[in-house]
Amino acid sequence: MAAKGGAAPATYSPSPTTFKKKRPPIFTDVDWVRPDGRDFHQCRPAFLRTGAVNAASGSAYAEFGNTKVIVSIFGPRESKKAMMYSDTGRLNCNVTYTTFATPVRGQASSDNKEISSQLHKSLEGAIMLDTFPKTTVDVFALVLESGGCDLPVVISCASLALADAGIMMFDLVAAVSVSCLGKNLVIDPVSEEENYQDGSLMITCLPSRNEVTQLTITGEWSSPKIHEAMELCLDACSKLGKIMRSCLKESASTSQE
Amino acid sequence: MVGLSVGEKHFIQGGIAQDLRTDGRKRLTYRPISVETGANGSARVKMGKTEVIASVKAELGRPNSSAPDKGKVSIYIDCSPTAAPQYEGRGGEELSMELSAALRQCLLGGKTGAGAGINLSSLSIVDGKVCWDLYIDGLVINIDGNILDALGAAIKAALSNTGIPKVNVASTAPSDEQPEVDVSDEEFLQFDTTAVPVIVTLTKVGRHYIVDATSEEESEMSSAVSVSVNRQGLICGLTKRGGAGLDPSVVLDMISVGKHVSEQLMNKLDSEIAAAEATMEEE
Repeated sequence: MAAKGGAAPATYSPSPTTFKKKRPPIFTDVDWVRPDGRDFHQCRPAFLRTGAVNAASGSAYAEFGNTKVIVSIFGPRESKKAMMYSDTGRLNCNVTYTTFATPVRGQASSDNKEISSQLHKSLEGAIMLDTFPKTTVDVFALVLESGGCDLPVVISCASLALADAGIMMFDLVAAVSVSCLGKNLVIDPVSEEENYQDGSLMITCLPSRNEVTQLTITGEWSSPKIHEAMELCLDACSKLGKIMRSCLKESASTSQE
Repeated sequence: MVGLSVGEKHFIQGGIAQDLRTDGRKRLTYRPISVETGANGSARVKMGKTEVIASVKAELGRPNSSAPDKGKVSIYIDCSPTAAPQYEGRGGEELSMELSAALRQCLLGGKTGAGAGINLSSLSIVDGKVCWDLYIDGLVINIDGNILDALGAAIKAALSNTGIPKVNVASTAPSDEQPEVDVSDEEFLQFDTTAVPVIVTLTKVGRHYIVDATSEEESEMSSAVSVSVNRQGLICGLTKRGGAGLDPSVVLDMISVGKHVSEQLMNKLDSEIAAAEATMEEE
């Protein structure tokens, strides 16, 4: 019995708060291997599908590595009575995390409002709001699993869902972020890299119009580094845009058959 | 919001295109800035008719388990309906949240603390046990555009006259218990604000961008980019407002203009803060 009792704790996995408090030294070196073995300037493979939710007017599912996101679009439907008359449409964005999205249960639920407003800011420039006056389009995003780069994935997935719902847009919105770790710039960081990052830069853009709808920078950056990071992101955005476009074409051709 | 006739709109846009704004300024000129520092850890900043106050309070607290060697800073901005009726209820909440988030991003740097205006490690007293919780509160009293820059300046001024009391830790406490601390009410350590960046918002109207836009000018904007720049000329944060997209080359140009303007603003603010503190000491 005693042996059994002594062995039992060994089977418990360490809680995420107790291990890796210190930044692993490998991240500060010039040369290291990323946790998933990618090159610094290599994005995770993207899996995108439209039509994930039947009840919605449009929906999409995106999977970038461990980051899994589902977005549904409802509407355009009549704005709430309390809203003032508006001759342009309204966009209502809401991002939520599942309680099991993060290693520690319910950890990421605190700053939903901030992420929702970021999503709104990135999308509003791409949507032709004057095509649906007096009405509201709801964008509901759910992060099933948070594996890094959540916001960019949500944004890209939401624009795909909007296209699926037939909402008029100038272009699809592709979003990519870059983390600065020591001297290195790593694109499309995973959670582990994000936790140790010195700074981050996120761009959302309309790839075929070459327009930036949103740009956020945190941490300390010199101008040449911003140049480099922006170029990296814009290049990745245009590639992501192509993948999103082909996903839409694919779903359109299968529905015709 | 601001109700403008077509003629007035044309007047504002035309003036900006010709580098002569409605109040006689050039595109990259600020309105007169006045800084007033009050009691310990507070400041009032006026930029033209825009008026904000900021206060800094410090409390002893426990550090987060995820960052045991760091203190905590919370930034909260209040837009009261006394400034404008549309800030009643949810309208004010949304703006407050947006401003707080932008300031947090500009002042607190990256996850590891690189580029932070406030060094969180300096707020730690005993690792994992006791730290300072810094509460930065801003209140918008009067709104006439460019609130973010004014709040950034007010926080910088308020921090520069914040005294953090000296804390003596009883060294005898066992390692697993909360150590006894003695907060001195005579000795204060001046808060180091050399790393605190200034925020410059460039508002794009038509094909040009302007600094320190008034409410009327802001109503004509297509988008605005706020850059926070520290004394070394490094970018510590950037946010964009307004839906319209920008060409990447325009963004880069705005960043370099912002950097250039920030130098003047930084010097102007420093001298204003020094003057405000000098007048306080005389009284």
